[in-house]
Amino acid sequence: MDASGSHSLLSISGLSASYSTQRGRASALSEIDLDLGKGENLGLIGESGCGKSTLLKTVMGVMPGNARIDAGSIAFQGRDLVSATAEQRRAVRWAGISMVTQSALNALNPVLSVGDQIAEAILAHRDVSRAEAWRRTQALLAMVGVAPERARDFPHQFSGGMRQRAIIAMALALEPPLVLADEPTTALDVVVQDQIFRSLRELQQRLGFSLLLVTHDLALVIENCERVAVMYAGMIVETGPTRDVIRRPAHPYTLGLKNALPRLGSREEPIAIPGGPPDLVDPPAGCRFAARCPFALLRCHAEPPPLTSIDVGRQARCHRAAEIDTLAPLAALPRTWDALRGQSLDAPSA
Amino acid sequence: MASYLVRRLGHMVLTLFAMATLMFFLFRLLPGDPTATVISPSLYPKAQEAMRQQFGLDRPLFEQYLLYLRNLCVLDFGFSFQTNRPVFEMIQGRLLNTLLLILPSMLAAYLIGAVIGAMAAWKRGGGAEVSVVLTATALQSAPLFWLSMLAILLFSIKLDLFPIGHIVTPGLFPEQDWRMYLSLDFLHHLALPFLVNTLYQLCFPLLLMRSTMLSTIGEDYIELARMKGLSERRVLFRHAARNALLPLATTLPMILGWAVAGSVVIETVFSWPGLGLLMIEAISRADYPVAQAAFLLIALLTVLGTFVADLLYGLLDPRIVYD
Repeated sequence: MDASGSHSLLSISGLSASYSTQRGRASALSEIDLDLGKGENLGLIGESGCGKSTLLKTVMGVMPGNARIDAGSIAFQGRDLVSATAEQRRAVRWAGISMVTQSALNALNPVLSVGDQIAEAILAHRDVSRAEAWRRTQALLAMVGVAPERARDFPHQFSGGMRQRAIIAMALALEPPLVLADEPTTALDVVVQDQIFRSLRELQQRLGFSLLLVTHDLALVIENCERVAVMYAGMIVETGPTRDVIRRPAHPYTLGLKNALPRLGSREEPIAIPGGPPDLVDPPAGCRFAARCPFALLRCHAEPPPLTSIDVGRQARCHRAAEIDTLAPLAALPRTWDALRGQSLDAPSA
Repeated sequence: MASYLVRRLGHMVLTLFAMATLMFFLFRLLPGDPTATVISPSLYPKAQEAMRQQFGLDRPLFEQYLLYLRNLCVLDFGFSFQTNRPVFEMIQGRLLNTLLLILPSMLAAYLIGAVIGAMAAWKRGGGAEVSVVLTATALQSAPLFWLSMLAILLFSIKLDLFPIGHIVTPGLFPEQDWRMYLSLDFLHHLALPFLVNTLYQLCFPLLLMRSTMLSTIGEDYIELARMKGLSERRVLFRHAARNALLPLATTLPMILGWAVAGSVVIETVFSWPGLGLLMIEAISRADYPVAQAAFLLIALLTVLGTFVADLLYGLLDPRIVYD
């Protein structure tokens, strides 16, 4: 997709980042391309360790000390963040891009009141008095459905759902155009999860921010995002409108993900993708998914596939993307994957 | 809160009672006759007997013990074998001298130690951090008396910046009163032992602060504070250090009692007329009433310090509730 940078809010192109480890540099992100328009919701899905959280941290500019950006750019409202100075980046944080973090319990400082932690975000970016910041904090809490007088309470006095609401209030404190959400409801039960997402959608209608939702829960993406990007081993393997991607996946990994999703009213057992993600210190020469792919050809092991356009607004990183319609019925059969399971067991270790 | 305080005070009284009992029997178990320095064996047996009666030493041990406890309750520690002055009076002035040296020095040590420790953790992996940690470890392992002697050798003898010892120039203030403590001469004498003690004592809070900071820095709320666009300084002090401070702050009052007891070394080297020096003198001259009272006082300070530490923790950490 050749999105013209002018009307896209966040435009990541060719982003590669790596961590230094004991064994060498692990390539955590490679050649990430993502575009997010104003008011749009994009889901980013993939298994644990595929680089979803690293991507968010890179966008926020809070990568750990052993990580570095190797190539690419992150343009936010047309300005590149990778080459920005520390002070410029600090100004964009929260006011431009805020984040709803994964674990609301650990994300709140235990010794400061919840209200103080929200108010300090306002005070760090806006030239307002303490009283004004506090008034806004109370209004924000009310907006996410927490009684304003609870602002003086400490995090341990909040329930799990309330903490997550407080985190959302904090993320919206400066009405940023872009909100990143990193598995925002994993620690909560389904009922609370549903409430949280409902109020998040309401708030979005009112405030009009864009949402980048990172999760491993396909159902959440289907409910909340128009577009989805599937990540595997630090790469985007498929992107497109959520409905299309779920109905007609164009990458074997997405087919596998869909299989692994249990369906209500279906007698079929979910099929797990055999094997595990590749070693990122020494990534495979060809496609990163090839070792787990039942349709891999010799070519897949030898040369990495590029991210190619397959339809309007749809891209996939697969050599066999054109044949996907003939492969998809095979992917729905357990024995297709079982064959791979047997093969990987018998294969001598390299 | 009220019931907690009552319970806690009860514990303190019990601890002190156990301490006093231990002290009583310990001194009576010591080899030799502790009264020999006062009741000279060269006196007539009749005179010795009369003196024993006078001190109540002819009564059974249990009766002596009860008498001792009763006296403690009214802060009557008896008379010094050496000077014949009331022990309480002797200790009062000495305790003040010790506290004037130790308290400010410990406070400074904790303050400076915490700040340097926090910075060291923040700049982890740099050359500055390595040298700070190495220096602190080396200083902490060095004997305090040796450091004190080195300081005297360098600053007092070679550079002639500070006096060699004592609390004021001998003979300047014939009477120990407030004028002495307000004089420049006193501050001049205080400076070197204060600096040496502070330097030595700041190693522990520094290393503790560094290690608790290192575990705090990895917390999610630190990352969130950064993402909020707060300045590094604000993240360091308001979020990271504020949490890392919890274990540190509570060691301070507990360590104070220990620091007063530990003043023996620095007071001996600097001839500082404090409690520590008094203890050394009392023990070497077998002045048991004085030594006993000094030990009890240190026990009292430690117990009080632990109590203050408990309350402080509740003040600093909103998650702690007393009931």
